[in-house]
Amino acid sequence: MADSGATQPKPSSSVKLVLLGEAAVGKSSLVMRFVNNDFQENKEPTIGAAFLTQKCNLPTRTIKFEIWDTAGQERFASLAPMYYRNAQAALVVYDITKPSSLTKAQHWVAELHRQASPGIVIALVGNKSDLASEGTSDAADEADAAPAADGDAGAEGESTDARRVPTKTAMAYADEEGLLFFETSAKTGQNVAEVFTAIANAIPETSLKGPRGVGGQTNLGRQEDARVNLGSARAEGPKEGCAC
Amino acid sequence: MFSLANLVQKAQQFIEPALPISNPTSSDHRPSKATLFRHQFRLPDSQSPLQEITAELTLSPHHSTRGTAGDPTSQEKELGKGNHYVGKLHLSEQYLCFSTQASSFLNSASLTSSSSFTGQTHGAGPAGNGFTLPLCAIRRVERLHSQSYMFALAITTWNGNPDTKSKSAPSGQRLTIQLAGSRQQCERFCDALKKGLREGVKDVENLRTVVGQCYSEYLLLDEADEASKQREHPDTGLGLIYRYPGNARKLRDATKIRLWKEYLKENGRTATLIRQPTFHKLIRVGLPNRLRGEIWELTSGSFFLRLEKPKLYTETLAKFSGRESLAIDEIEKDLNRSLPEYPGFQSEEGIGRLRRVLTAYSWTNESVGYCQAMNIVVAALLIYMSEEQAFFLLSVLCDRLLPGYYSTTMYGTLLDQRVFESLVEKTMPILWDHLVKSDVQLSVVSLPWFLSLYINSMPLIFAFRVLDVFFLEGPKVLFQIGLAILRINGEELLDATDDGTFISVLKSYFARLDESAHPKSENPKLRAVTRFQELMVVAFKEFSNITQNTISEQRAKHKDAVLANIESFTKRTSIRNLGPDSKRLNIEDLGFLYDRFYAVLYERQQRAEILQQEANRKAKAEKSKAATIVTGFSGENVQKGRVALGPSPTQMDYDAFREFLAGIAKWAITDSPSSPDTNTLQTAHSYFGGSTRSRPPSSPWGSGPEPADHEFMRRLFRRWDVDMADSLSLQNVVSGFAQVKGTKDIMANISYFFELYDDDGDGRVDREGILRISEALLFLSRRGFGDSASPSASMTDVHGGESPERSNRDEHFLSSVSAFIRRCFEYADPDHPSHQSNQALNEANEDLDNFSIGADDEDDLIDLKSAPPSPTVAKSSKEPSAQASVQRSGLDSSNPDSKPERNGSEPSIKSDKVKAANAALDPNKPLYITLPTFRMVILADEVLEQFFEVGFASSFRLASTTHSQLPMSSNLTTFSNAGKQVSAVSAGLGGVVGGAGAGVVPPGKGLRGMLDNIVSDGMRVAAEVRRRMEEAQKEMDKEARYGRDDEDEDEEPSTKDADLLEGAETAGVDTSKDAASSAGLLTPDSSLSGEINPNRNRSASDASRKVVEFER
Repeated sequence: MADSGATQPKPSSSVKLVLLGEAAVGKSSLVMRFVNNDFQENKEPTIGAAFLTQKCNLPTRTIKFEIWDTAGQERFASLAPMYYRNAQAALVVYDITKPSSLTKAQHWVAELHRQASPGIVIALVGNKSDLASEGTSDAADEADAAPAADGDAGAEGESTDARRVPTKTAMAYADEEGLLFFETSAKTGQNVAEVFTAIANAIPETSLKGPRGVGGQTNLGRQEDARVNLGSARAEGPKEGCAC
Repeated sequence: MFSLANLVQKAQQFIEPALPISNPTSSDHRPSKATLFRHQFRLPDSQSPLQEITAELTLSPHHSTRGTAGDPTSQEKELGKGNHYVGKLHLSEQYLCFSTQASSFLNSASLTSSSSFTGQTHGAGPAGNGFTLPLCAIRRVERLHSQSYMFALAITTWNGNPDTKSKSAPSGQRLTIQLAGSRQQCERFCDALKKGLREGVKDVENLRTVVGQCYSEYLLLDEADEASKQREHPDTGLGLIYRYPGNARKLRDATKIRLWKEYLKENGRTATLIRQPTFHKLIRVGLPNRLRGEIWELTSGSFFLRLEKPKLYTETLAKFSGRESLAIDEIEKDLNRSLPEYPGFQSEEGIGRLRRVLTAYSWTNESVGYCQAMNIVVAALLIYMSEEQAFFLLSVLCDRLLPGYYSTTMYGTLLDQRVFESLVEKTMPILWDHLVKSDVQLSVVSLPWFLSLYINSMPLIFAFRVLDVFFLEGPKVLFQIGLAILRINGEELLDATDDGTFISVLKSYFARLDESAHPKSENPKLRAVTRFQELMVVAFKEFSNITQNTISEQRAKHKDAVLANIESFTKRTSIRNLGPDSKRLNIEDLGFLYDRFYAVLYERQQRAEILQQEANRKAKAEKSKAATIVTGFSGENVQKGRVALGPSPTQMDYDAFREFLAGIAKWAITDSPSSPDTNTLQTAHSYFGGSTRSRPPSSPWGSGPEPADHEFMRRLFRRWDVDMADSLSLQNVVSGFAQVKGTKDIMANISYFFELYDDDGDGRVDREGILRISEALLFLSRRGFGDSASPSASMTDVHGGESPERSNRDEHFLSSVSAFIRRCFEYADPDHPSHQSNQALNEANEDLDNFSIGADDEDDLIDLKSAPPSPTVAKSSKEPSAQASVQRSGLDSSNPDSKPERNGSEPSIKSDKVKAANAALDPNKPLYITLPTFRMVILADEVLEQFFEVGFASSFRLASTTHSQLPMSSNLTTFSNAGKQVSAVSAGLGGVVGGAGAGVVPPGKGLRGMLDNIVSDGMRVAAEVRRRMEEAQKEMDKEARYGRDDEDEDEEPSTKDADLLEGAETAGVDTSKDAASSAGLLTPDSSLSGEINPNRNRSASDASRKVVEFER
């Protein structure tokens, strides 16, 4: 997934993406997986927000994600507006082993719908799918009907199914709100790239700033470090960064 | 989340003093002298400046760091030789402090003196040269015979562990202090010192414990003798086990240790350390690994906290062992990811320490609890300190050095970001303009710097260097470093036009801090300067004008905007997170509820505080009257500040709920405000119990109206309290309102009301419940409903004689309620299986009848509408229940109405129907109504129907019309009679019932039977009263009749006020007699009247209320 340089022949545009969700649901890990294809068990908690970039190649264009990975603890919520300001896409993450994290995700979706840029593309992502055993998402429906019973089942049982949020539930919610929906595992990498590709595809062509030409107000045409994204998709219009 | 608003409000107070280091204890805009004093010398909050005097400190020559170790036992100190420092000597309860910094707090309480405390960045830290000496560390004070000075004191300290038996270190350090002041001043100072020293003796034990854990003791003892070599190495953090970060040789750790050893040997250690210029220099070049923790502790002042409560840490852990909290859950999540690259935190040992320190702190400061980033800071501290040391240092960080950073709103963080931005704007205008133009938000970059003290941003070894200075010089260091980072990278940053580039520039800068700042320089010395050294120089030289005072000024300037931002965000989030129910209310209403909810809680808290202070002051006043005014006020301030630090309430108890409702619904305002002469019935429920006399002048309900206390409100409270917590959260309140106001469906409203009274949830409301419902209906309606008129208008209506229209409506409502009761009993189902079949038939019939009744009722209503607003009407309106029922049964002749022509035919035959209905009223036959019955009865009456359709819901006034804060008391006096009567009646009834009911065996089973008993007893009482009045009834009745006739014709009360008054009085009595007459004569009827009796009394009082108004 390494960045292939600033000179893509395809049109290239950057998309500001913000990650939101409860603490320790794996936001940072998702980003790590997407950006570095790497997984660290002990990830330092994000203080404020971490910033990373990654490109996503689509058949017709290249999307450069500028990713703001925010801190999950409740009290950091008041800092969130700082990060989702002008965001064109959002990844709202929950943990499929923790129902409360879905509730929190729903709150974030509501916040984004009301406060963020109008056309924002939101993806709901249930992370840690590696903790659910195969094909349990239906069984989990039943488990959900008797939530008290299966409290420790995942921990002790051989099935090691820790899933507590049925796929159906989350999917129904996502449909209702018009969100993209995925279940991922940052640990195994399952579905991670798919999420970002889906977001890239979902960003309407019109909201993209298009290939950036020369003409940004403080554009000095400098050569960027390739690791770093070259511009933002803000309203200030076309900027440097792409040869075409 | 819900608590945030309150926190913000508190934060407002908290930051208010515009202090360099937040000062919760003073409420004026200037820091108090005591605060300045504590902050200058980093003393615990228990200390206050008692004495101060100008003095000169003389240290023997070898105390200068010449490099050769002087003989510590040397006694040849001569005045005139060695280092002299002129400064101020301060005495507090437990400390003797000296500083060369201008530290006079005499005319303190001003910001100018606070600036003196900040100090310059080079050389002198906030505490300047000098010492902070716990009195218990002083071994001896001698007065020297000196020619040149009036007073010279030679102070000998314990210098190190006081129980050292070591021969080679027989005496502690000696310092000589000349006091410069008048003889009186000096003597006063010395007296106070003597007293303090005596007190200090008992702290020696603590000192011994605390000092024993310091590395410097071990370091200096090492060479003393063999015995001391067996001393255990003190815990100097995880680094001792897992190595300290960085290359020790590269850090020149050994050299640093040697220099420090010399310094400590000469200048005392731990508690007795004297700060000389070398001290500051040694800190600037970076502390040696093993001493780092100890020096942090000393410079930050956490050492003194530990000295004060050496066992606090272990005791806290023991006390809360095994308990759980949200903070603990959050801590657990982060334990494995706090400096995970450091080996110590990949082990259970390190994780365990981290867990314990964070947990202990979360218990000692529950309002902060745990905030992400604390784990990183504490993890860093633990590399160099023991758990206990880290615990106290964390306290100092949260309370003083980083005020509000880790609070639940993180207002301190946000505020300091704002401050940082404004400093950038001021010092680097070009860069700032560039940032603004490129729409780069600086704080997204700088926030982690401040929040985790650069620990997360820079390589650890450099972050610790920053911390070394930070603990000595205070929060301004964070700003200076931040500014220097931007200044050094200015050129590159000017090229960056988006967050990404901006961040990457800085990231790569941090990664190369160890490289040479001038790699291409010819000068090898210059080439040797690392980028980090360059950073330090720029920070402390170029930005030396950034003082603590600068920071505090900026904080004061931006405080309001930052807090307002947080508030609006909090409100938004909180409202959004209220759950699905909230969708049924509009945004304005939710906003209004939110504001109102927290305003009530906040005001109540404030009031409780003020009252507490009043009480305190009163208690004090009893002891000594004269001096208390002043001390009382200062005590008040302290109290306010302290509470502001506590957790804010998010739950509303019943009293608060009443107050809350009173601001929203007219009916929730009491009829009888508890003024000093109120009856006990009212004060009984009042917040302050019956002690009206001791109540402070301010009303317990603040400026708002005093809320009523009605059973209905209690039911509403219980209904809304879905968590059975005996308190309501905002969520509960909003859900509650959503049910009441969110639906336009009359059926839903009716069911809601029914459910309120269906105590056991079996779909039935029994006899008692029916009565309660009708009481509630009257209670709710007594001030009219939310019509287009504003509440204030309605209030004045009540006050200044009622408009005919309005009173008409009231009458209608009264009559409707009476009709309601009558119908309820008529259509009620007997609670007996054998009756079921009959009942089914009856029901069918009744259903049929009901439709025709509707028409009748309308006629009835028209009749009433034409009636004038006079006492007569008030009276006649008490009858319609009977009237209605009779009409329903189609027998006009049996109408017990008070109109003369009808009165005559009173004792006529009842229809079978009525009898059947009345059979249901037999107290011995328990009965109930079901929801369909209830619905039917409500819909049968236009007024009630309207009430359930719009009236009830609109009686709550939310966003659209804010309830005006009227001076209600004057208006409400008109109601107090009514209120009293009602309560007196119910109380009377209740009392008798209790007595009588005790002897009767309940016919039914359990509660239901009991209730039936109560009702029947009540009826018996009522019947008794009636019988007694029977005698007088007939004449009175006639008299009243005539009076009424008059009024029916004449609608101008003004023409005969006196008559009216008389008429009204009779009417008041009359009604009950009227009721009695019909009741007493006919048994079935009597039971019926008995049922409605309370309401009749209500009506009666209603009448008398009007009378009073006319009188006026």
